[in-house]
Amino acid sequence: MSARSYSRWSAVGRETGRAALALLIAVIVALVIVLATSTDPLKAFSTLLTGPLSSNRTIGLWIDDVAKLTLTGLAFSLVFQARQFSMGVQGQVYMGGLFAALVAMSPVGGTMFAIPLAVLAAMLAGAAYGFLPGYAKARFGASEIVSSLMLNYIAILVVNFIVRAYLAPAGSGQLMTKDFPDTAIFPAIIPGTRFDLGIVIALLATVLVWFLLYRTAWGLKLRLVGHNPGFAEYAGIRSSVIMVSAMTAAGAIGGLLGAVFVQGRAFGNIAVDFDGNLAFEGILIAIVARSRPLAVPFVALCYGYLRQGAQLMGLRTDVPSEMIGVIQAIIILLVASSFSLPGRKTLQRWFKPRSRLPAGASAGEAR
Amino acid sequence: MAPLLQAQSIGKTYPGGTVANDGVNLTIMPGEVHAVVGENGAGKSTLMKILFGMEQPDTGQLLVDGKTVSFANPREAIDAGIGMVFQHFSLVPSFSVYENVVLGSEPRHGMKFDRAKAIAAVRELSERFRLHVDPLPAVGDLPVGQQQRVEILKALYRDARILILDEPTAVLAPQEVAELFVAVRSLVEQGRTVIFIAHKLPEVLEISDRITVMRAGKTVGEVMASEVTEQSLATMMVGREVTLRVDRATREGALVCEIKALNIVGENGTTLADDLNIKVHAGEILGLVGVEGNGQAELLQAIAGLRPIAHGVAYLDAQSLGPMSVRERRAIGLASIPEDRIAQGLASGASVAENLVATKLGDRRFVRRGLLDLKAIKAHAEQLIAQFSIRVGNSRAAVGTLSGGNMQKVVVARELAEQPRLLLVNQPTRGVDLGATQFIWKSITQARDGGAAVLLSSADLSELLALSDRLVVFYRGRIVAAFISAEDLSPETLGTYMLGLDRQDDRTMRAALR
Repeated sequence: MSARSYSRWSAVGRETGRAALALLIAVIVALVIVLATSTDPLKAFSTLLTGPLSSNRTIGLWIDDVAKLTLTGLAFSLVFQARQFSMGVQGQVYMGGLFAALVAMSPVGGTMFAIPLAVLAAMLAGAAYGFLPGYAKARFGASEIVSSLMLNYIAILVVNFIVRAYLAPAGSGQLMTKDFPDTAIFPAIIPGTRFDLGIVIALLATVLVWFLLYRTAWGLKLRLVGHNPGFAEYAGIRSSVIMVSAMTAAGAIGGLLGAVFVQGRAFGNIAVDFDGNLAFEGILIAIVARSRPLAVPFVALCYGYLRQGAQLMGLRTDVPSEMIGVIQAIIILLVASSFSLPGRKTLQRWFKPRSRLPAGASAGEAR
Repeated sequence: MAPLLQAQSIGKTYPGGTVANDGVNLTIMPGEVHAVVGENGAGKSTLMKILFGMEQPDTGQLLVDGKTVSFANPREAIDAGIGMVFQHFSLVPSFSVYENVVLGSEPRHGMKFDRAKAIAAVRELSERFRLHVDPLPAVGDLPVGQQQRVEILKALYRDARILILDEPTAVLAPQEVAELFVAVRSLVEQGRTVIFIAHKLPEVLEISDRITVMRAGKTVGEVMASEVTEQSLATMMVGREVTLRVDRATREGALVCEIKALNIVGENGTTLADDLNIKVHAGEILGLVGVEGNGQAELLQAIAGLRPIAHGVAYLDAQSLGPMSVRERRAIGLASIPEDRIAQGLASGASVAENLVATKLGDRRFVRRGLLDLKAIKAHAEQLIAQFSIRVGNSRAAVGTLSGGNMQKVVVARELAEQPRLLLVNQPTRGVDLGATQFIWKSITQARDGGAAVLLSSADLSELLALSDRLVVFYRGRIVAAFISAEDLSPETLGTYMLGLDRQDDRTMRAALR
């Protein structure tokens, strides 16, 4: 029993070490860029590293990002475990956001049912939008990558249009709606910050996804389909049903993220282009977390910290905003590549130079 | 003569704590065929990976030409003149033969890939070493035996002095094995050295000069091939006496499976099987004989529900299988051991326990209201692991970490956990060691004695002859001969029918088909 849990924890330890090393390299590269572009590199760099903890407000910003990154990471983890490469989280976020906003702005929005009903509407909308590419694949063999990406554009453009033309105050020329009633906005956990109900929802969703994947027959079937669709068919599992349902369930989480966006204290309304492309960063989170739901919040916590630090560095120091983008991209690149094959081998060699060096040294001597 | 390649007291422990090699010694002389034999899990593959630089040993050292070397990766091993042909080929199916051979070290003409030179080089190599293969067609269109030659050419093109062949015969038909051996001999004649990993002992004795035997991560001996017999070698490998004989069926029961005028059409519209009429009774094994690709596998797939039936019917206990889903077929007592355990029989990334329960997700013992009963699943797995003596640390280990024989035991354990009515078996012991073969054969005969009707297909004629009570021979999707008893049949007799040189008259055939 103890040996079993030991090997399990050592595997977790290895993965964590690998991710941490990648982050460390990313920070070093960021330091080099800061040194090259800033007149006060020390300040810039300390902002990158400590900025997110500098005030309650920035902690709120960070935790708000963590909640959102967790949800998008979960949505991607779910489809990745079924080995479906649906990229549709962004579209689901827009659909979910729209329907949450519609509920929040309806008469229901002023009642105590506003939050649960808006969240539910968002999840249903996201699920429906996730179902589409799944059904198209099962029925017509359409590549889910292409169809989900195209559906993203449709969702973004349609939602933007509806927000601008119908939901924003008429004649104001504004690109966002009025604020929702307070009853429809997530309550803050630390008053005056963005640390709100969103993180609670994200953690509940984490447990839910874990439970679905590892404790239900549906989850086992989903993982078996992901491991080997040919085997699943041979074992009598209807892989097309599993495939479509996995994409639908992931869609519900994407929709939920939409609600967290518009109902969170960061917005409290729906605006044009509200997601800031955060939805896609879930791919990175899912890759680093190896699509393991319980690892997703931890990865989101670390990655969200660097992401927020970089943004604060852009706001508070003279590092050019373009370089912030570069640093973020390098973080993504390094973290993701440490989990692809060539990077992994290199890292392994760095980790155990002992076993290699003496052997290499003795090669020439021919004892 | 000084040894060409030496491995001295190699030790390798994997992160999970598995001791794969423990004080292994191997000495290869120049110009010999040296076989390394041992059961699956004996550590042969690990040793070869160390020789080829894919793994680094924890202890011990490698010497080439008497000089200590260490390979950080296969590139360095290739540079030292070592070439390896894996059991699972690493070829690009859409590339032509010559492109595959030169890939990574292409001859150049200025900046351009010199195709003419590459083709000429491949022709020259294949003639010199009697590895006949046309350089031009795409590799994916070639039969397995020819693909293997491409792999060998690849190593020779990189000037391998030492060629490691990892279970090269596992994927070959008997004739192809003979051709491979011709090539191996011509390699040795021209000064190359061959390391041959295997566990089919007659082949080992035929081709090799010296044999190193491994057991449980250790080398247990090095012998001259001329000085040992199959039996003594088997005893060395397994560590105890082994017999590969099974008892025949004692009784024959009621009709279980009837196949009437069955016709199977492939996705591209070609007829794969036509007008099949077969009856299988409880308690008998019906062997499906034929060169691979003559319809036996397709018949088994159609009965299992993985391929549609175009015309005709297949009955199991008088119920027509055609309209049923795979799950419904399994529910009325169908079990199936598929041809390729990795591609179809298992989810290698999932745990042993999950694989063992994968076909029983409608069973109330394991799933209630959609929730998994993890305790029951674990208990089920542990019981089967013990019953089928599957060598695995615990039921949570991923199936992909097991050796081939143990993987196959997981498949067999899952399919035979409950007594089936109809058991479909295809290539049950391909790439499986002696000990596991013995065990799997016994499991199949036990299912038969428990009242299962068994349909068995195998590329290994000796396996078919050893297990089958009746035999039918397939040629181009049709049955061309049938035999009531396998006892006194010779492989040659079967061979004439398998190659379509002869066809039984209808009366004899009908009598044997019953």
